[in-house]
Order: sequence, then structure tokens, then C-alpha cells
Amino acid sequence: MEEKVDISVEFAGLKLANPVFTASGTCGYADELSDFMDVNSLGGFVTKSITLRPRKGNATPRIVETDSGMLNAIGWANIGLDAFVEEKLPVLEKLSCAVFVNIAGETIDEYVAVAERLSGEQAIAGLELNISCPNVELGGISFGTDPSQVSEVTSAVKKVVGEKVLMVKLAPAVTDVSVIAQVAVDAGADALSLINTFTAMVVDIETRKPVLANKTGGLSGPAIKPIAVHLVNKVYNEVAKSLGIPILGMGGIRTASDAIEFIIAGASAVAVGTANFIEPGCAVKIIDGIKKYCVRKNISNVKDLVGSLDQDLTE
Amino acid sequence: MSEKSSTAKRGAYLAAICANKQIGERFYRLGLEFSGAGAEAFAKVQAGQFAQLDVSGAALPPAETIPEELADVAGRKVLLRRPFSFVDVTTKDDRTLVDILYCVVGPATLRMTTLAAGDSVSIIGPLGNGFRVPEGKKTALLVAGGMGAGPLQHLAKILTADFPGIEVIAFAGAKTAEELPFERQLDKIAQQLEFSLPEFAKYGVQSLVATDDGSAGFAGPVTDCFSEWLGKSDSAGESTVIYSCGPEQMLTRVAEIAKARNIDCQVSMERRMACGIGICQSCAVECRVAESNETIYKLCCEDGPVFDSKEVVFSS
Repeated sequence: MEEKVDISVEFAGLKLANPVFTASGTCGYADELSDFMDVNSLGGFVTKSITLRPRKGNATPRIVETDSGMLNAIGWANIGLDAFVEEKLPVLEKLSCAVFVNIAGETIDEYVAVAERLSGEQAIAGLELNISCPNVELGGISFGTDPSQVSEVTSAVKKVVGEKVLMVKLAPAVTDVSVIAQVAVDAGADALSLINTFTAMVVDIETRKPVLANKTGGLSGPAIKPIAVHLVNKVYNEVAKSLGIPILGMGGIRTASDAIEFIIAGASAVAVGTANFIEPGCAVKIIDGIKKYCVRKNISNVKDLVGSLDQDLTE
Repeated sequence: MSEKSSTAKRGAYLAAICANKQIGERFYRLGLEFSGAGAEAFAKVQAGQFAQLDVSGAALPPAETIPEELADVAGRKVLLRRPFSFVDVTTKDDRTLVDILYCVVGPATLRMTTLAAGDSVSIIGPLGNGFRVPEGKKTALLVAGGMGAGPLQHLAKILTADFPGIEVIAFAGAKTAEELPFERQLDKIAQQLEFSLPEFAKYGVQSLVATDDGSAGFAGPVTDCFSEWLGKSDSAGESTVIYSCGPEQMLTRVAEIAKARNIDCQVSMERRMACGIGICQSCAVECRVAESNETIYKLCCEDGPVFDSKEVVFSS
């Protein structure tokens, strides 16, 4: 039976071997993970954020653990576009899974410049537009929480990405995430990824100071999973389903059961984030677990699970 | 260990707990046993390297034994792994035994105290770069603050075994005698100014103890004890190397002493880290760029934790 289960998915025109990605910022540029897993066994891979110029990132402490979660405020520390193209793309080029590059910037021009340069690169299947990072002074979430700016940056990038899939990563803490999702799709997004982290704070009561040097950080991990499942389901029902736009669901996924919840809620694919820090090979187990679930539930094609949430509570 | 030796391949392994001995009020020594690929990977470990332990599944000790100051955090669910360096590594047949010295400071280390022989724990390692031995050194000075004495014991063992031409002297300090992470023999000799800790003496290494309150050994910071000793010593700067591990404030002072006397100095840095494998970018250490005023962030986990002291911009 197991051989007959098809867990391949179609994601914005891309054929993926399975619906499991690793999420931006939690899997480096792929080579870091290779001691722990075969990155090619993934359906997709999203690089950490790339900006036009290298960024040092924020001062330390950059992380703090919380109940069933963690806050991070890295601040887009990255090697910059030129070094990425020169040093990291050759590694990514060898991958058989779908490679997405997460791109970020302080201005629309910066997003466009990075997107334009990467649009011609064979190694890349698509771009993930980071308009939801809570840890930078300029750019990031300041774009993602304002519908008119979401529209402007998405359409500007769409004009230069050519055939590459444009995926827009949404911030969770907005009045109505579906409004932002709709605007992104109208402006040209081929796919949506959600959710990014929640802006959060931990206070040191001895010093009465925030623990993080950046004061606030993005909350991730199991603590945010039920909210993420809800928001994926909301965007699926209100925007994505009718328009045929795939969702990459994420937020606290550690196990196959977690991943399946997201798929049932409406995600066409899922991304493993914080869990990579704890169990760097766990995506492989999740892929295997999804397959086993399908066997157990007599589901021959994982696509049939997407958005299969039974909301009829009368039974 | 030396610059020519190869680094062991990192990976995720399961280790069997063979001992978990309380050696002080808050200090424990955890014994881990690796077999198979883990034994091979950890047999070649360098002093100063570290590993990430997943202790999230370990049970909490009984409520009445939890120190009052940890009562609020004790029940917190542990998510991330915790990084630890090694106090000793030995090989026996096809197994490798790794000892970790730890201090109970929060929910994870509190849980670690309940690990017992027969349990197993998931470990990622060995990670990072350990202490290096530059060519031409005749004297190695080990300066430890608090828990920093752990990896420096491992270093003392390796130096005395593999570099017989190098004389090794250790300095270990803490706020009080109680806070020195050694077995309890200290009480008997607490008033003595000069003695050798058994932990270092077993490698033939002389050691000096300092406590801020004077309850054992030199009265004052270990850096004062060290500086005073250096002032009286005739060790030539160029043939000496300083290795230090401890709180950043102490490392800052050790680096200043080393700079003033033009002695090579390696410091083991500590940062909050999530992954330990170069992905999360949490454990940034600000470093000078050679021949410029610029600084960059290096990663404690991958570029360190051991850095040349001249390179580090200390944050305290």
C-alpha cells in the first residue's frame, strides 16, 4: 500500500516530491543541514533572508527561550546578494528539491534589485518575499502590515521575477490576515506562506530590561502552532481556495501530525522551522509520517487532504 | 588538538548515561557513553569543543528538592537543546566516555539532575573549534572562572599527555569556595593560600585557587591572582600561551593582561544559542576585522567558541 500512496504535490506550477519544506532562517543555505539529513529528500527549501548588501544583524542576546517557544531577533544577518550568488548558489544548484530564496529589504528598490538579479538564476524555483520580519527597523513587517505597501512591493517585484514563483510571506498579527493575503494575490503573488513570527517580549525582572538586545523578537515554535493552523485555514477559506493559490503553512511544526493539521486546514505544503534547531533531520521523519498517515487513512494522494477540514459539527 | 589534527565529524547521536554525580551544592558531573559512530566522533574531540544536549524529556526532580530561586522556572517546558563542553573524554575499547560538568541554573539543568544510569540522551556534536596549541610554546597558563574550570581540565589532560615539553599551570576562581566546581575536598584546605586541586594535580598540573570573598585560596578575583603570579614569573611572553574560560567580564580582564604582556591568549566565549550548528545566527560574537576599525559578528558555535582574545570585542 505504501508504494501506492502519492505524496507529491503541485505548488504554483512546481512539481514537488512531497509537501515538506524547511523554513527560511532555520536551515541556512542548505550545506549546514547536510550532516543531519539529505536535503534532496525535501519537497522544497527556503534560504535565510538575502538582502542587497551584507548585514551584520542585531546585537546579542538575539534569542531567548519561552514556554514551548523561542524569541529571535537576528536582524537579517546575511552575507548579501553578491556573496550569496557567488558562494551559496553553486551549492543550491545541486539540489533537486525546489529552492526558494527569501528576499528582504528596507526599500522597495532593494527588494526589486535582489529579485531582478535572482530571477535569471537556474538554481532557483521561486522567491519568498519577506514582508513580515518583526526584527528590523526599516522594511520587513512595516511593509507587511499595510495593505497598500503590500500591494506596491509585491507588484514591483512581480514585474522582475519572470517565470519564478513569487511567494509572499505574511505577518500574523494584523487585523485581518485575509485582507493582506487578497492584496498580495491581486498584486501578483503566486503563492502565500504563513505565518511569520509574532512580535513578542521577555522581561528580565531583576534588571527590568528586555532580555533581547533588540527589545522585541519574533515568537516561534510549538506555542504558535494553533494560531498558525487557524490563520492558514482562514486564508484558505477566504482567499486561497477560490483563487487556486497554494499556501505554504508553517508555525511550530515538529511532527508529521503537526504537518497534517496544516494540510487539512488548507496548506498545500508545510515548512518546518524552529524544530530544525532542535532536531535538524526532523523534516525527513515528517515526510515519512505523512506517508504513513495516508496509508492508515486510505488516502492515495496527499492532494486529497489539502483543505479537507470537516467543519460540519452536526454529525 | 594541535593545529594539524583533524576535526571530528559532527552528527546527531544517542548517548547512554553511565553516571550523574552531585559534586557540590549545585554542581554535577554527568557521564555519557557513546558506541558506534558516536564513539568514533567523540573520541577525537578537542578541549573547548562542545555538544548540544536535548534534555527536554528528562523528568523534574521532586518539588521539595527544587531550590527556591528556581521554583518559578522549574515547570517551564524546555524546547531548545543546551550546549555543554567537556571536562574529560576517554576511550575504552570501542566506546567513548564523555564527562560533562554542569551547574543547576534553570529548567533544563534542573531536569538533567534526574538523568540516571540506563537513560539515554540525544546529543549533537562535537561542535565548534577548541583550544589550539601554537608552535614553540613552553608554558601554558589556564585561567578558569567558575564553570570554566571544566573544559580547562580537559585541556590540562591533553596538554600534559600530548605536549610533554609544555609546562601547564592552572588558576581557578569563583565568588566563594562553595562556588568552585570541584569535589568537596576544598573545605579542608579552604584557608590555604597555595595548593593543587586534585582535578589538575592528577595530570601533574599545579593549580592556584582564588575566591572573591577569600573563603578559599587567594582573596580576590582570579585575574588578580593570575596577574600577581605573572608579575613574579620569569616565563617569556612569546613562549607562553594563555587559555581562559569563564564569565565574559573575567575574560575581558584576562585579555587585557595578555595584551599588556604581549602573550598569546585564547578565550572560550559563551552565548545563548539555539542550534549550535551555524544556522540560527543567535550566538554572535563581535570581532575586529584585522587592520581596520570595522567589526563583524562571528558565530560562537562555528567560528568559536574558542577565539583569539585580540580578535574579540568584549561586551562587558
